[in-house]
Amino acid sequence: MTQEAVLDRAGAAPRRSSGWARFASLILADKKALVGLVILSLFVVAAVLGPVLSPYDPNAMDFDMIVGPSWTHPLGTDDLGRDLLSRLIVGTQISLFVGVSTVAIALVLGVGLGVLAGYLGGWVDHVIMRYIDLQWAFPNFIIAVYLVAVLGTGLVNVIVAISLAFVDDFARIARSMVLSIKEEQYIAAARTVGVSDFRIMWRHILPNATAPIIVQATVSVSYAILGEASLSFLGLGVEAATPTWGLILSESRSFISRAWWLGIFPGLAIMLTVLSINFLGDALRDFLDVREGRGI
Amino acid sequence: MSGYLLRRSIGALIVMWAVATLVFFMLRIVPGDPFAAMMADAGDMEAVEALRRKFGLDQPMYIQYLKWFSNALQGDFGTSIYGARVPVQQLLLEAIPRTLSIAGLSFIIALIIAVPAGLIAATKRNTGWDHGVTLFAFLGLSMPDFWLAILLIVFLAVNISWLPAIGYEPLSAGFWPWLSHLILPAIAVGTGFAAIIARMIRSAMLEVLKTDYMRVARAKGLKQSTLMIYHALPNALIPVVTVIGIAFALLMSGAVVVENVFSIKGLGRLLIQGILNRDYPVVQGAILVVSAIFVFSNLLVDMLYGVIDPRIRYDS
Amino acid sequence: MKKSTNLTERQRTQIEDDLKNAYDFDPRDPLFGLSRAEMSGPRLKRRAVLRLMAASGTLTAAQLLPGLGGLGSARADGHAGGTLNCGWSGVGEIQTLDPAQINQVLQFQISSNVLSGLMHINADLVAEGDLAESWTVSDDGTEYTMKLREGVTFHNGDTCDADDVLFTYERSKDPNQSIHGRVLNNVAGLEKVDAYTVRFKLKKAQASFLTKALERSSGRAMTIVSRGALASMSPSDYGLMPVGTGPFRVTFHQLGQGVVLEKFDNYYDPERPKLDKVIIKPISAAEPLGAAMEAGDIQLIGGNPIAPELIDRFVANPDLVVDEKPGPGFQSLWMNPWHEHMKVTDFNKPLDELMKEKGFKVRLAIAKALDRDRYLKQAQFGRGTAAYGTINPAMGYYYDEALAETSGQSFDLEEARRLMAEAGYPDGEGFPTLKLITTPSNRRESQVVASILKRNLNIDIELLTKEFSVGIEDFDTMNWDMRRAGSGGDYDPDDGLVDWMQTTSKFNGRKRNESTHPFGYFSEAEVDALTNEQSATADIEKRRELVQKANRITSDKVACAFLYHPSDILVHHKSVNFPAISRIPGLVDLDRVTLS
Repeated sequence: MTQEAVLDRAGAAPRRSSGWARFASLILADKKALVGLVILSLFVVAAVLGPVLSPYDPNAMDFDMIVGPSWTHPLGTDDLGRDLLSRLIVGTQISLFVGVSTVAIALVLGVGLGVLAGYLGGWVDHVIMRYIDLQWAFPNFIIAVYLVAVLGTGLVNVIVAISLAFVDDFARIARSMVLSIKEEQYIAAARTVGVSDFRIMWRHILPNATAPIIVQATVSVSYAILGEASLSFLGLGVEAATPTWGLILSESRSFISRAWWLGIFPGLAIMLTVLSINFLGDALRDFLDVREGRGI
Repeated sequence: MSGYLLRRSIGALIVMWAVATLVFFMLRIVPGDPFAAMMADAGDMEAVEALRRKFGLDQPMYIQYLKWFSNALQGDFGTSIYGARVPVQQLLLEAIPRTLSIAGLSFIIALIIAVPAGLIAATKRNTGWDHGVTLFAFLGLSMPDFWLAILLIVFLAVNISWLPAIGYEPLSAGFWPWLSHLILPAIAVGTGFAAIIARMIRSAMLEVLKTDYMRVARAKGLKQSTLMIYHALPNALIPVVTVIGIAFALLMSGAVVVENVFSIKGLGRLLIQGILNRDYPVVQGAILVVSAIFVFSNLLVDMLYGVIDPRIRYDS
Repeated sequence: MKKSTNLTERQRTQIEDDLKNAYDFDPRDPLFGLSRAEMSGPRLKRRAVLRLMAASGTLTAAQLLPGLGGLGSARADGHAGGTLNCGWSGVGEIQTLDPAQINQVLQFQISSNVLSGLMHINADLVAEGDLAESWTVSDDGTEYTMKLREGVTFHNGDTCDADDVLFTYERSKDPNQSIHGRVLNNVAGLEKVDAYTVRFKLKKAQASFLTKALERSSGRAMTIVSRGALASMSPSDYGLMPVGTGPFRVTFHQLGQGVVLEKFDNYYDPERPKLDKVIIKPISAAEPLGAAMEAGDIQLIGGNPIAPELIDRFVANPDLVVDEKPGPGFQSLWMNPWHEHMKVTDFNKPLDELMKEKGFKVRLAIAKALDRDRYLKQAQFGRGTAAYGTINPAMGYYYDEALAETSGQSFDLEEARRLMAEAGYPDGEGFPTLKLITTPSNRRESQVVASILKRNLNIDIELLTKEFSVGIEDFDTMNWDMRRAGSGGDYDPDDGLVDWMQTTSKFNGRKRNESTHPFGYFSEAEVDALTNEQSATADIEKRRELVQKANRITSDKVACAFLYHPSDILVHHKSVNFPAISRIPGLVDLDRVTLS
């Protein structure tokens, strides 16, 4: 057994072995988390099976405009005669994709920057932190608005804008975790035996910083979904024909008093998803014992 | 304390300068020509060029920047590019009270909802009350605020004649006209915030109730209500104060969207419209004010924290 | 009220008498540009009235109008006084009311109530004297001598005379102060004859001079501003609260907050205005606008066209009046002729030769596949008229109703599909995805355009929503595949033809690289010539012929795929009496409006 392997066992992964099992039992015990998990699973299934499940082409228009829920159109039709259920199902795919991909990008960039800053210290830390502080001075949503204005609208640009706006949150958490772990004995030990900086960060520091990052990531997914909806509402969102929940909801605004279903269903879809993510995030937070992260 | 304050203030000014500079250059690489849009109808290229000269846009970027910076230092942010070319200061002075009114009232509404809700949830832990509060908090967090705003208009404003659906009246027009126009936007913005505070108060109260100090107080036989309101709550509010900085971020983001629904030209709307129209001077001015508010409210919160919690000292 | 009714009756009889006597009058051309009503062809009576007016030069419409009630106006019921609350639709603020800077219809809708011009169009789009009491036109049509109304005062008490007209003229010509200099390009000079007489000298005869250059609302270059006020106010203050000679004065204006107008007691017509106060609030979103109207917070809607989805809702509401008229304008789907798959590099070729070109076949196929009925039903909830050219039904006399049948663009699905197949794209196969640039307000309806083309030709169209300021940049540099755009304030054929269809038109690729793009989106020598000729043609029958011919060519040679002419819809509460005489398409003139 190499020295490194010993270190691994000693420092990096004390929780791993029974973690999932304990988390599963926790979720089963926590009704909120269970509800969240069930709802979220349903949406994920809808997203994966989207094209199979949706009864109509989500972009096909016919003259049955603004017709309420019926057997032919279970959730009614929109102002252009498109089937709302089909649009919401396809929207599930896109909205969840926006939520997850946004956070994935933000996480990679933010954690990368944070770990670099925290571990290397010195001028690298200084430069990165000045930038992070700058971004920290603004609400994420305002930053996203501005980035979309620079990049232009559209699905890809919205994802890029929201993820860049989230970078500072992850960077801060990662950096502070690294700073607190850096001084631990096993890191010093690894350094003395000549393990490379990269390897130390990757194998030893990151695994120990995961808990708060996971919590932040979970919460961020819900904020990304809400952020996309708000951007779409301001006319800064995805392109017109892309049926995201946010866009469907924002397009319903001129019909909401005449066609409740147009406003209620996409709103509910957003709310239920965000709600279940929050439920799960809450359970995770209790489980991992992490304090509140930062929001919108 | 004063040394710390000075250092932090200088830091804050540097952040504002950096943001303003970043925005200045980013704005100019954004595609879109405000003058072309303005002239689309008149089609007079000569007038376009005259305007460009007037706004100094024919000059190299660094000269534009130096000019803008030196003017801004003297409190001159230039004029809007559009229409009547109203001075940016005037626009900001009109917009600030609107946004602060919404933010302030949302804050009050949020506290009115959140403090009792948090208290009840903490004292009646794991009862129906607690679950109710928790559910409300989650719903508040999960609802897009523009959606809530539209629902409020559709279901309240149309049916309640004294509740105006849109617009803003300044306080000078009277207290009630001012307040009545703010109620719906403030509810729309404040709900999400109320949810956050209620949750914070609940968990802070639970922490406080566990402390020795509270156990002693309880052992002394103090009444439950006295205990809660005079002993536990003030302690539980400390972490709440820390979120005021974040609160402002939240309220501002909310205001940007909600001002749009209620046709209130506050800072958020000024900013969004400026961005959409490529109205450089307005965006620069608005960003500067918004960042000033952020940076200094964070600073204020830190100071406040020191006042509330005597354990924290800023002297190095 | 009763007294004025009597007067009206008397005046009407008088005019009718005058008419009978005037039948032999040779109405050659003093009628310049008095576009539609005079020419509302078959209705000889009105035409004769107007000819009489113009020929004698002393009977101005403003004098006649109170008596012209029989020509389609209704007298207002209700009493003078009261406050009218208005919502201005689809807009967050009224950026300016200074005529020199106004660039949106929703702005001059307000300024038209505050400032006067020399001329003002009426409900039939005919120019009438506003501050001009009478005018004469030289035989060659290049000199307009205008007698100004005397005793007119500005809101600040200054007298309005020839010097103010000259001042306005100089201000409008100066690109540093005005964006409307181009409107006066054809004016060689303006001279003051005496304190109340001015004379315009034109470079060449211009049929649209009265309706286009001198019109108080849409013209804006000769909307009379106050010298005195401009000397004492900052330009931005004047932009917010301009001082004019109109029926209302601005007493409050804050951006985003709204505008308050109050009755001007010294308006030159003591009978007007009727209202004491008008409060205008900008409301950008549709749902709050609908809610404000239904809750009674506002009683009238002006501003941008009301979202089509709100209109049915208003129609269903018994408390509201929805008044629909043909609107002045056209909307099109533009296709870039420099795009590889829609390429036409010479529109001057005869039609049968163009028909052999692949690019032209595609353009024609798209225009023919554009099912306009379906579009109107789905996108506009059935409101509006299918368009095949720029000349719109609001222009009445110039409008070519037969074009719907005779145009090469008439809907024919079989033919469109055959053309696509011939061009090498059977059932859309091999045809690239096109990017359609649209504006945020056209987002919804552009989806319908895309869906129709997908359905009929199996072409994929990707929407790119860009703010107007960004999209226009692409359009100007010819950096686009397709674009949804059109025009909204076309009171004269010049608006469509001169502004859009000539090689030198202001929208026609004005920032293009001329070495790679010799022209912008369209260039056709005969259309250029016909357009120039109609502009200078006084005789209305002749002008109509030229206009319709040019219009037909732009349609057959597919300058763009014409889509529709919007309706002009005014919505107000039943309690608001909006007389037909004030119902000018595109405008919201409130001087005769009363409340009951």
